[in-house]
Amino acid sequence: MPDRKMFWRIVRRLFAAQRGRLLVILLALGASAALTAALLNLQVDARDRLTREFRVFGANIIVTPRDTKSSVAGVVTLDESTVEKVRQSLPPRASADSYLYLVASVSAANSVQPVSAVIAGQRTARIDQSSLKSAIVTPRDNKNLCLVGVKAAQQLHLQPGDRLTLQNDKTQESCISVIAEARGDAQDSQIVVTLDAAQRLASLPNKVSLIQLSVAGTPREIREYIAALAQNIPEADVHGLRQFTDAEAKIYTRVSGLLTATTALVLALTGLCVMAAMTNVAMERKNDVGLMKAIGGATRRVLRLFLAEAALLGLAGGLVGAAAGLLLSIWLGKTVFGVAARPRLIVYPVSVALTILVAIVSSYPLRRLANISPASVFRGEA
Amino acid sequence: MFLRLVADSFGRRPRRKLLTGAALALGMAVVTAAFSVSLDVGDRLAHEFRALGANLLITPQADSLPLQIGGVDYRPANSGSYLPEQDLGKIKTIFWRNNIVGFAPVMEVPTEVLIDASTNSTPSSPIKTTLAGTWAHHSVALPDGRGYATGMDQTNSWWHVDGKWFRDDAPEAIVGKSFAARTNIKPGDTLHINSADRSTALTVTGILSAGGPEDDAIVAPLQIAQQLANKPGQYRRLYVSALTKPEDDFARRNPTTMNAADLERWSCSPYASSISYQIEQVLPGVDAHVIRRVAEGEGSILTRVRTLLWLASFAALLAAALAVGASSAAAVIERRSEIGLMKAIGAGAGTIGFLLAAEQLLLAFVGGGVGYAIGIILARILGEKIFGVAPEPSILVFIIILALAACVTLLGSAIPLHRASRYEAAPILRGE
Repeated sequence: MPDRKMFWRIVRRLFAAQRGRLLVILLALGASAALTAALLNLQVDARDRLTREFRVFGANIIVTPRDTKSSVAGVVTLDESTVEKVRQSLPPRASADSYLYLVASVSAANSVQPVSAVIAGQRTARIDQSSLKSAIVTPRDNKNLCLVGVKAAQQLHLQPGDRLTLQNDKTQESCISVIAEARGDAQDSQIVVTLDAAQRLASLPNKVSLIQLSVAGTPREIREYIAALAQNIPEADVHGLRQFTDAEAKIYTRVSGLLTATTALVLALTGLCVMAAMTNVAMERKNDVGLMKAIGGATRRVLRLFLAEAALLGLAGGLVGAAAGLLLSIWLGKTVFGVAARPRLIVYPVSVALTILVAIVSSYPLRRLANISPASVFRGEA
Repeated sequence: MFLRLVADSFGRRPRRKLLTGAALALGMAVVTAAFSVSLDVGDRLAHEFRALGANLLITPQADSLPLQIGGVDYRPANSGSYLPEQDLGKIKTIFWRNNIVGFAPVMEVPTEVLIDASTNSTPSSPIKTTLAGTWAHHSVALPDGRGYATGMDQTNSWWHVDGKWFRDDAPEAIVGKSFAARTNIKPGDTLHINSADRSTALTVTGILSAGGPEDDAIVAPLQIAQQLANKPGQYRRLYVSALTKPEDDFARRNPTTMNAADLERWSCSPYASSISYQIEQVLPGVDAHVIRRVAEGEGSILTRVRTLLWLASFAALLAAALAVGASSAAAVIERRSEIGLMKAIGAGAGTIGFLLAAEQLLLAFVGGGVGYAIGIILARILGEKIFGVAPEPSILVFIIILALAACVTLLGSAIPLHRASRYEAAPILRGE
């Protein structure tokens, strides 16, 4: 179709004629696409990252035996089959610590008198992100070490590396002490040993007192997970640690609101920037429009011509800019969270589409050119 | 003559100038809003993080090891040491007193409970549980004679009470929800509590859901716990919730090894560790610990969010600079023929540049000012939507915005101005 051929020939000429100016526009469009892509990607990633960042608070879900009528130490327990069920239900990037608590008398090699202390047997199950299979991580299992809280160490006048003897009724365990950093919580006055050692000491094989889960996710995901888990293990009581779940939910809403607001502002602004640049180019086309009209171009066809130009510019700028923006966001993610932001593929087409849209919308002032009468343009008026 | 030319240029093409000014104002408004929110966000979020509760734990220095499992202390009632309640007002006398948003002392007593339910008349057998004495909402007398109201409703804001909190001076109690479910206690019931040889009766006013070991305990006024344990005027642990600055390497240094200048700098920063050091100074015989889990998590998240927001503000700034620069460049290019005419009648490149720059600067100040006003409103809306509190307008932001507007317009017009100064008058006037 000769008509279409002519159309594209004119568009090609339009590009060729004003290389310098077009480069500036392309730069503006590309920069805006880069900014859009970087911010959108960072925004999606930051929310995700934030939920993971909350895990520095430690466990947020606790599984305890349902029946706690008796309050004799260590008697109310969960069976390890429950731990296994919990472990199988863990979502990616979560971990579960099972604990068995008991009170035992502790004596160090050089201490005069044994001291009663809480012994916590601990075993950690962690979900590996790559394999999505849980693996039992027991760093202290074979080394026969026990982690002594600072307060307990003080009480025992303990030096790191001292041998500790733990005794409960007739059973006895010994281990080499490692002194933990001050944490300011209950663990400062506890002695952490392996779950197996604690079970032997308490004569409660295959039993645990409670399971602490650390699960990443949005507040809603965590609520849903708690509900699902509670249904899965009716023998236990599953509840969120309100102190952390509540605060996390609150902070998450605030931060994600802030992020959305700033992203929206910046996007509006980049749109404005592109519009300013495109409008200027459009107004400079006055002479061209006058000429085309004078030689018989219909207003609609002339407009279509310029819109096609704008769309092509938007496409080119968007393709290059969005790619640069994704790279930028990877780097930004590294500076903010210490981990490179994962590029989301959906962001790429979205930012390219947004750029094209902005380019076309900002050519809107061209409509005003429709009213130009060729004669006045050639006379140098207006 | 110079002023007349400037005034004329604004008078003759008001619409064009208005457009450039509007672009400027909008850009600056967005930057103002982003900056105001970013400046404010640290404080706001620090307050939000107080929902995590206490970040400092204060215990007696010479305490025996607590033998607490699942909220039940297996330590005999008389072992361990206690702290005097009357000293607590002194906490609000430290340098960082205004950063302390709340504190609550706790004393736990192992007890046996007999329930006298209004609905169920069969006498039940005694149940062992822990009674935690604390303040619900207590007025502490400060050394300067004023009162300060604080308690668990400040430090443990996640505690949810179905019913009412107990009054601190009445024989009332709230009951943890698991304990209540197990024993069928309802608000209005009376509990008979025995501890060693002492006993008391408490009215249940509410059911507590705390999501912690307290769910399995009874929480009552501190006074009641003191009576039961026969330790009048004493407590065992104190939770302090303070607004703190995220810790850095400097914060972790040992204050006893610092020189005078460093020590002053350290005590004048509201680090959790320096606040706990100051508390140790005013309360004799205590150990103040930073609850690492809370304090460190808070610190790392605050730092990250703040960096993120500054980055976003910086992006806003970049975008605004581009937009304003582009429109001011266009404004100069447009006036090519005017420049040609001025040259033709003998104006030097310097004069023309100065004239155009003055025009742009005027526009920048007006646009920047208007933009600041719009931005402050925008920031208020955003702040109120997100945090429920509007950020304070800051003079600093105003100055930055004006300087920025001037900078950006000048930079944007610099390249076209430079080119304009090299224009030959004749071709422009011929329309080439």
